[in-house]
Amino acid sequence: MTDDTFSQLVDQYYPSLYRFAFSLARSEADACDLAQQTFYVWAKKGHALREAAKAKSWLFTTLYREFLRGRRRGERLTAIELVPENQLEEVTLEPESVAAMDGGVVMAALQEVEEIFRAPLTLFYLEDLSYQEIAEALDVPIGTVMSRLSRGKAQLRARLASRTVGNGSTVLPFPTFKKSASHG
Amino acid sequence: MDNEEAKFILKAYRPNGADAGNDVFCSALEQARRDPALHAWFEREQARDKALAAKLKAVAVPIGLRESILAGAKMSHRERAWWRHPLVYAMAASLALLLAVSGVWWNVRARTDWSQVTSLLIADAARVDRHGSHGTSASDFVALLSLVTTKLSTPMPVDLKRLKADGCRVFTVAGHEVLEVCFNRNGGDFHLYVMARPGARDLPDGPRFVAQRGIHTVMWTDPYHLYVMASTKDEAALKAVL
Repeated sequence: MTDDTFSQLVDQYYPSLYRFAFSLARSEADACDLAQQTFYVWAKKGHALREAAKAKSWLFTTLYREFLRGRRRGERLTAIELVPENQLEEVTLEPESVAAMDGGVVMAALQEVEEIFRAPLTLFYLEDLSYQEIAEALDVPIGTVMSRLSRGKAQLRARLASRTVGNGSTVLPFPTFKKSASHG
Repeated sequence: MDNEEAKFILKAYRPNGADAGNDVFCSALEQARRDPALHAWFEREQARDKALAAKLKAVAVPIGLRESILAGAKMSHRERAWWRHPLVYAMAASLALLLAVSGVWWNVRARTDWSQVTSLLIADAARVDRHGSHGTSASDFVALLSLVTTKLSTPMPVDLKRLKADGCRVFTVAGHEVLEVCFNRNGGDFHLYVMARPGARDLPDGPRFVAQRGIHTVMWTDPYHLYVMASTKDEAALKAVL
């Protein structure tokens, strides 16, 4: 792969890869590191990929694997309790309320969604991959992706609705999460 | 298919229309066209998804990330050239034979561009600096580094495995695993990057100072480790710690 082709690949995908990494790692520095490491792996191995069209899926898959590989002990979110599915579905959130929100608020809410739902949900909203490609990237069955998208959307809606009191949204209490990560 | 099943499927339909040709959605989309209640639900769902997708894509990407990615990949290209290009591989094999015969083989080793490594760590330090200090789970080592009497250029009790297990930040630069410890000395924040000493012979003999983008760094080695220390403080402050 020439330098120009590689630069084009970077330009095309590094913003989406960074945002995916940021939703997973919840730290700007770690997200940068994940995006950089993904392209480093590509530069070392990715050129052997025979179908250029699969570069996109390969990059997201590699980033997710690097995230899982590098995740440090004690960094996982611990959900204290789950809101019952039927209650989550009752939460409403108007599209207009979302449109009025800041992007950082949406990202912060997304980062509070349980990790198992957050990965497919972020990939869905980045719109680069179909749900079949998301299933491949995360190495889970297609039906599982659909199920996680449904549940993840409900969690995100509940998180966002709690930030939009008075905007025509119904709010239910949502569990708090504890984080125990540190570095340096 | 009832409406609940159709909703379950349609929740995976991307709002940018990229799934329009996907057969899996055909039946559910057709049902949404026929059923007014499902149609209304789908329109709202798509409008909300579209708004959320737009917000997510509006999240800013850090300045300098693109340049760091390209710089890191260039180093990989160099490493790859030795092994992957058939012509270079054949030439290298011939050259190796020639050098072995002439007895100068050991003077030639694969090189890592340490100035690039330093640049990447400076970029990292700049990002870290913007976000303040980190946790200090490796408190013993951090306490040692923070002592005014500790000179970092003298051998230090660095146990990479233990520090890693304690929760210190670990990441990879140009294929080298790097561990970061942050500490404060004389009111200044310092970021100490440590990696196992590579086998390369082109490492700097003494401390090497570099300043970029307002970040001052010094790189040095001991028999076991390679260190890069970064700070917004000047070179004199680094020398005082060293």
